[in-house]
Amino acid sequence: MTFSLVLQAIFAGVTNGIVYALVGMGLSAIFKGSRVINAMQGEFAVIGAMTTVLLLSNAGWPYAAAIAAGALTGALLGAFIEVAFVRHMARKNASEDSFLLLTIGLALTLSASILYFVGRDGHLLPPLGGEGVLLVLDAVIQFHALWLIAIGIAATLLLRAFYHRTTLGLSMMAASIDADGAATTGIDVGRMRTYTFVLGGLLGALGGILVTPLVAVDYTLGLNLTLKGFAAAVLGGLTNPLGAAVGGITLGLVESLAIIGISSSYKDVVAFSVLIVIMILMPQGILGRAGRRGG
Amino acid sequence: MVAEPLLALREVGHSFGGLAVLRSVTFDVPTGEIVGLIGPNGSGKTTLFNIVSGYIRPMMGTVSYRGTPLVRESIQQRGRAGLVRTFQTPQVFEQMTVLENVMVGCTKLTRTTMLQDLLRTPAARGQMREIRARAEAACERFQLGALRDLPAASLTAGQRRILEIARAVVGEPHLLLLDEPSSGLNVNEIESLRDWIVRLNEEGMTILLVSHDMGLMTVAPTVHTLYFGEIIASGDMAAIQRDARVREVYLGV
Amino acid sequence: MKPSLLWLAVGLVVWAVLPLVVPRNVADLLVFTGIYTIAGLGIGLLLGHCGIVNLAQATFYGIGAYASAYCTVMMGLPSLVGFVVGAVIAMVLAYVIGRPILRLTGYFLALATLALGAIASALFFEWDWLTGGTLGIGGIPKLELFGFALDRPSRYYFLVWIVAFACMATARNLVDSRTGLMLRAMRDSSTAAAALSIDLQSLRTRIFVVCALFGAIAGSLFAHHVSFVSTQSFTVDRSINFLLIPVIGGATSIPGIVAGALFITFLPEFLSKLGDIHQILFGLALVGIVVLLPDGLMGALGRLRLRLMQRGGHGG
Repeated sequence: MTFSLVLQAIFAGVTNGIVYALVGMGLSAIFKGSRVINAMQGEFAVIGAMTTVLLLSNAGWPYAAAIAAGALTGALLGAFIEVAFVRHMARKNASEDSFLLLTIGLALTLSASILYFVGRDGHLLPPLGGEGVLLVLDAVIQFHALWLIAIGIAATLLLRAFYHRTTLGLSMMAASIDADGAATTGIDVGRMRTYTFVLGGLLGALGGILVTPLVAVDYTLGLNLTLKGFAAAVLGGLTNPLGAAVGGITLGLVESLAIIGISSSYKDVVAFSVLIVIMILMPQGILGRAGRRGG
Repeated sequence: MVAEPLLALREVGHSFGGLAVLRSVTFDVPTGEIVGLIGPNGSGKTTLFNIVSGYIRPMMGTVSYRGTPLVRESIQQRGRAGLVRTFQTPQVFEQMTVLENVMVGCTKLTRTTMLQDLLRTPAARGQMREIRARAEAACERFQLGALRDLPAASLTAGQRRILEIARAVVGEPHLLLLDEPSSGLNVNEIESLRDWIVRLNEEGMTILLVSHDMGLMTVAPTVHTLYFGEIIASGDMAAIQRDARVREVYLGV
Repeated sequence: MKPSLLWLAVGLVVWAVLPLVVPRNVADLLVFTGIYTIAGLGIGLLLGHCGIVNLAQATFYGIGAYASAYCTVMMGLPSLVGFVVGAVIAMVLAYVIGRPILRLTGYFLALATLALGAIASALFFEWDWLTGGTLGIGGIPKLELFGFALDRPSRYYFLVWIVAFACMATARNLVDSRTGLMLRAMRDSSTAAAALSIDLQSLRTRIFVVCALFGAIAGSLFAHHVSFVSTQSFTVDRSINFLLIPVIGGATSIPGIVAGALFITFLPEFLSKLGDIHQILFGLALVGIVVLLPDGLMGALGRLRLRLMQRGGHGG
C-alpha cells in the first residue's frame, strides 16, 4: 500500500464526503425542523442535477444559470412536498412511521419518474474549473473536486451563520426546539417547517449538482445518496445539521480507505454497513448529544 | 428466627446527571406484608420503583429478592421470578379486549415455541385454552366480566387500574409493586382499590405500595417516608403523621 | 349449511375453476399474485403486529430464488433441495442480522432494513460467480408434482396457491396463538408487555425470521415460474413493492394481503400500454394510502361496513 494510494483515497474520500455532507445536512435540517426522516433526500440531489443537465444540454442555458435553476428546483420541490403532503399529515398528527412511508413512497415515485422520463442512462455535467487535475505526490485530485470541497465548506459555514445569526435561521431553530413556545413569540411554525424543507431540498440539490461532474447521475443515485446522507447525519448527530459535515467527511474517508485493497464496487456495501453499525453502536453520533435513541 | 424478607434494599443510591435522587435507602419488605412508600414529588419514589423492577441499575447499594441480590436481571426475568409492577398511568393494551389484556398476563406462565404456534399443535391449542380459562376466571374474580369483550381503550380510569392489577395478578406474582395506583381515580374507585389491596394481601400477596394518598396508605402497617432520596421516618401512618421531621417536611411546621 | 360455509364453498369452486377459464396471461398474473401474497404475509406480520417497516424482503426473496436457481441449474439437484437451502440460508441470515438491528426501533430500524436491502442488491450484482450478475441464471426447470408437470401457469397456479394458503393458515395460527397475544401486546404498549415478562427482542427477531422464510419460499416459487432470474428482480424497488402489499390491503388482515398482492400484480398489467409507468403509480399509491387511508383498503372497507350497519340499524 503506497502512500500515494492512500493519499488518493483521502482525496476521493474528502470529495465524496462533502457530497454526503451536503445531502446529510439537508436531511438533518429537515429532521430537526419537522421530526420527519426524509427518505427521499437523495432524490433532491438527483432532480437538482438532472434539471441542470437538461437545461444545459437540451435548452442551452449557461452553466451558472443552469446550476442556479437546479438548486432552485430542489428548493421548490421541498416546498411542494411540505405544503402538499407533510402539512396535511402533521395536522392529523400522523405517526413517525406514516411520515417515513410517505417519504419512501415519494422516493419511489421520483426515481421511477426519472427512469420513465429521462431513461436509464447516466448523465454528466462539465466539471468546474475545467478538466484539469492537480498532482500531489503521485495522487490526483481534479480541479472540480477542489471546487466541490471549497463550495461544500462555504455552504457549511453559511448554514452555521444562517442558523445562528439570521432572524429566519434563529426562528427555524426555535420552532423546531419548541413549537408552542415559538408560536407564542409570533413565529409561524407552519411556514418555518416549509422553509425547513426548502433548505433541505436546496442542500440536497446542491450536493447532487456538485457530484455530477464526477459521478454520472441516474435514477438509482437517489437511494444511494439518501442512505449515505443519512449515515453522514447520524454520524454527526441527527439533531445537529452541522454535524453532518463532519459525519459526511468521516464516511467518505472510511469508504475510500476501506476499499484500497478491494474492488471499488464494494464502496456502497462498505458505506451502508457503516450506517448499520453506527446506528447500533453510536446512535447519537460522534458529535451529537445523547438524544432519544432512533425511533 | 426471623424469616428472610422477600425484598431487601441496602444503601441504594442513584443520581441523574450529578443530581442525587436516592441516597442510601435501606428497608425491607417482609413476605406477606404490605409496605408503603410515601413522599413528596421528586423524593425518588419512581426512581426506586424503576430500580427494583429492573428499568435502572442503581449506582450504589443492593436490591435483594428472596435472599439473592438482583444485579443484571432484566425486567422480564424479574417478572418471571414473581416481581411484578404496575405503572402510574395504567398501561393497558388499548386495541385488545379486556379479556385479551388479562390473557397477556397469563402468557408468562406457559411456554410454547413459535413453531408450535405456527403449526397450531395440540400443545399450543391446549395452552391457549388454559390461558383463556385463567383469564376468564380472573375477569370474574375482579368483576370485569361485563366488560370482557370491550376494547380496553373504552374503559374508565378506575376500570383500567383494576384491569392492570388483574393482568398483573393472574401471572401469580409473589411481590406486587403498585406505583401510585390511586392516581386519576375518584373516591369510590379508590375505596374499591383499597379493598382489592387488602383482599390480595389476605390471600398472601406481598405488596409494596407507592402513593401520595395518605388515606390509601393506611392500608400498610409499615410506611417509609422518602424525602430527597432518604428515608426520614418509618412506622404506621399514625406514627408517621405525628413524626416531627415529616411534619416539618410536609406541612412546614 | 351456514352462510359462511356456503361462501367458502363458492369461493373454493371459483378459485379452482379460475385458471382454467381465464386467458393464459391472466393465469400467469394469478400465479404472481400467489407468490406476492406469500412474500407480503411476512411483511404484514411485521408491520401490522410489530409496527416494523421491513424494506429488506427482496433480499430473502432473492436468496430463495437464487438458491433454487443455483441448486437446480448449476448443481443439478432436485428442486426441493433448492427450496430448503434457500429457506435455511434466509432464516439464518435473518437471525444473524436481525438480532443486532432489531434492537433499533422506528425509523432507525426501517433505514437499517433499507440499507440491508441495498447491500444485498449490490452483492447480488457483485457476486456474479454465484448469481450470474445481470446475465442471471436461466433454464430453471418447471416443477413436477407426482409426475404431473406444472409447466403451464394454469397448473402451477394450484401449487403456488396451496403453498400460499398454507402460509396464510400458519400466519393465522400465529396471530390467534399465545405468540399472537404477545405480539399485539408489544404493538400496543411495549412497556407494559415487558412488565409482563414478554421478551420483546426475542419476539421481534423470531417474527423477522418467519418473514424471511416466507420471502424465501416466495422467491423459490418465483424462480421456478419465470425460469430465469437476474438482479433486476431483487432491487430495493421490489422491497418497496412488497411493503405496499400490506399497506394497501391492511396489514392486520389476511384477505387484505391478498388484496394488496392483487393490486401490485394487476395494476402494471392495466397500465402496460403506457409503458413502464407502474412504479410511478406504486409510489403514488403508497403516498396516497399513507395520506388518505392509513389502515389500507381493508380498514376503509371495515369502517364503511360499520357505517352502513349503523345506518341500517337506524333506518331499519
